[in-house]
Amino acid sequence: MIIEVKKQICDGHLYKWLIAAGLAWLEHNHERVNQLNVFPVPDGDTGTNMLLTMKRAYEEIANLNEPHVGIVSEAVARGALMGARGNSGVILSQLLRGFAQRLHGHENFDAYLFSEACKSAVDMAYKAVITPVEGTILTVARLAKDTVVEKATQESSLLELLTLMVNAAYDALQKTPDLLPVLKKAGVVDSGGQGFVFILEGMLRLLRGEVVTMARDSVLANGEHWQDALVPEDEEGYGYDVQFLMYGKDMDVNVVRATIDAMGWSTLVVGDDKLIKVHVHVHDPGKPISYAIGLGVAIDDVVVENMQMQYQGYVEERIGREAGTGADVDGVAVVTVASGDGMRKLFTQDLQAAHVVSGGQTMNPSAEDFLAAIDKIPNKEIILLPNNKNIIMAARQAASLARDNQVRVVPSRSIQQGIAAMFAYVNTRETDVSLDEITQAMTNALNNVISADVTNATRSVEFDGVAVEEGHFIGLLDGTLVAAGDELFEVVGQLLRKANASEKELITLYYGAGQDEAQARALVDYLIHDFGSQEFEVVAGGQPLYPYIISIE
Amino acid sequence: MTFKKIRFVTDSVADIPADLAEKWQIKIVPCYVNYDGESHLDDGKDLVRGEFFRKLPSMRTMPTTAAPSVGITEKAITEAAQDADHVVIVTTPAKLSGIYNAMRLGASNIPPEKVSLVDSGMVTMALGWQVIVGAEVAAETGDVQKVLDAIQRVRDNEKLYAGLATMEFLRRGGRVGWAAASIGALLQIKPILNVKDGEVTPLARIRTFGKAVEKLVELTREQAPLDRLAIIHANNLSGAEDLKRQLGDVVPENTIIIEVGPTLGVHIGPGALGVIPVSKSWRQ
Repeated sequence: MIIEVKKQICDGHLYKWLIAAGLAWLEHNHERVNQLNVFPVPDGDTGTNMLLTMKRAYEEIANLNEPHVGIVSEAVARGALMGARGNSGVILSQLLRGFAQRLHGHENFDAYLFSEACKSAVDMAYKAVITPVEGTILTVARLAKDTVVEKATQESSLLELLTLMVNAAYDALQKTPDLLPVLKKAGVVDSGGQGFVFILEGMLRLLRGEVVTMARDSVLANGEHWQDALVPEDEEGYGYDVQFLMYGKDMDVNVVRATIDAMGWSTLVVGDDKLIKVHVHVHDPGKPISYAIGLGVAIDDVVVENMQMQYQGYVEERIGREAGTGADVDGVAVVTVASGDGMRKLFTQDLQAAHVVSGGQTMNPSAEDFLAAIDKIPNKEIILLPNNKNIIMAARQAASLARDNQVRVVPSRSIQQGIAAMFAYVNTRETDVSLDEITQAMTNALNNVISADVTNATRSVEFDGVAVEEGHFIGLLDGTLVAAGDELFEVVGQLLRKANASEKELITLYYGAGQDEAQARALVDYLIHDFGSQEFEVVAGGQPLYPYIISIE
Repeated sequence: MTFKKIRFVTDSVADIPADLAEKWQIKIVPCYVNYDGESHLDDGKDLVRGEFFRKLPSMRTMPTTAAPSVGITEKAITEAAQDADHVVIVTTPAKLSGIYNAMRLGASNIPPEKVSLVDSGMVTMALGWQVIVGAEVAAETGDVQKVLDAIQRVRDNEKLYAGLATMEFLRRGGRVGWAAASIGALLQIKPILNVKDGEVTPLARIRTFGKAVEKLVELTREQAPLDRLAIIHANNLSGAEDLKRQLGDVVPENTIIIEVGPTLGVHIGPGALGVIPVSKSWRQ
């Protein structure tokens, strides 16, 4: 592939390559984006969300051999829209959509049209957000666009223009902590903005002829055929995941790494001459272990996991989960989002949700996931209940894309709000009321509860005067950090005091994966000293990452 | 048409306060309540309601109500007939209890033109209001047909809603089919029940009792302006008084607060509150 560096015109072919390069560079760096946690919650999925969005966008043009840039950019926008996940992913999809709108009917673009398309892209992105927040991907895109618009009149080389654009985007990214205090306190730049910069950088690297590695599997498997996509390529199956520590002296990490790597795949060998951590996937777990023993060193923390069985378990679980677990209801049906068996059961059995899309804080479903769920149920009138502030936009996208159904969104920001809304649903749906009346009743019910969550901090930070250490428990009240500490019960107690729970009636503890009912009961016994006149209820939620999700009402 | 002297007979499920029963000379036939292997008469002496509800949670088996014997109903109806031109009998729904049948058999010695038997379709003071209004109209008009019309109009214009502090007794009773169904299986609920035509149906599932009481207030206000109001409770007098305060200006004069009898009480359980408003529209 030879790119003419002074190119002044971009056609459909080049645009396709630019998208591919942006995707490849984002893929290469998306873990770095994930690590830019704005908040000490395991929410590190911005990079993954943006990557999934870009993958889906590229999938739409992967087999397209089309010189017309209007057509190619429209396909990119369509794919991005379908794959958009998380706030940053959705905003990214809107940038691509606005860009494509301006290119409609144009076979190619020059510097001027590029600047016009950038304007359209930023306008579209700002419109997509109800209250645009500065210091995010929006700011980075806007300031980058300003530079392009300013320079496009003097600079006709797309390479030069893109260079100026990337520099402007990078400068804007560095300013995000000044614009958004939450970033400054956490000592990071905005993750979505960083993801956007990586995409632009990838494009620039392509134009400069620099290496942009393209991962083999960067085209997303079609979600409908996920089982086929997951079948291991290796006839022997997925094999075993082997991890251990090697204690010795005068060990050579490079030699160990090379030897272990020859035995299997996904090799990760790190350490020094005295201590080495080995991680490798193999078919015969005996091989790497015997090798280490053969070196005359001590090994410890040996973990061998059968990935083939884990894979089969996952497939079984997913089939079971996807097979008609929702309630059959007449009239208006609800599609909601939850993770954890207990939560799923609660929504479908007790609260009559027609379908539960798997997801939540760490895995934001896309608009396409919602549309697929809507397709699965026969009802024509649908209410989407996202249960997370980062999923509301994807739900709204799905509502606007749905063709054959009337779809409304009840913007629940937490699981607790979702449950409160579902009570309004079960109370109104039996009476003869319209879709909009049910939507209104559910929306009104959102504030019937206070949402409190307990999770672990993923990094050390000082936040609103609360000192948080990595791994400590933190308590969030309606999404705001209010409590932290290394004792789970104490953090829950602090959290309830901040919520003025002693003035409320009912405290429901949904315990997560890794907790059990006995622990939850012990927590109630602990809390009852301070909250003697409140009623406690303990429910198995099974949600990941959050030991307790608590509703106070 | 000559002015007829009309007397009323009902059963203890009506929860009519003693002073009103005396004022209107209403004969109340006590039902039996069977629990812990013994049969008790719901007459305020053998069975004291407050005490009954305190014991209810620890009773090993679910108490049941039993109809009075035909001997008892016959005695009450015959006594009423002795000093009246006509007897109006208003009972607990035949769907729920054998009382209606016991009354029917107990009235068989009275000439049919001298007695009217009405299935109220209701329990507690929703049955009680039908009897009391019937007695008032009888005293005013002495006209059996007008009395029966008035009873029907009260029935059409009254509501009975109950808010439950717990689902436990509804489940134990097993009478309410939906209570055993899935809703409320994983999360506790404080249901609002609607009683109409002898059927108990869920009206709303609510998470906290405070919100359930708010819902009762809202449902009562929907019936305003009110001609009458009874507030019932199961061992929760202070809750009933709070509820009355929350109702504010829609509360009519002579509102009755009364402890509900065991027939409905065993199903709704201690702590429950209920409202029985009669809308002014019954008079039209």
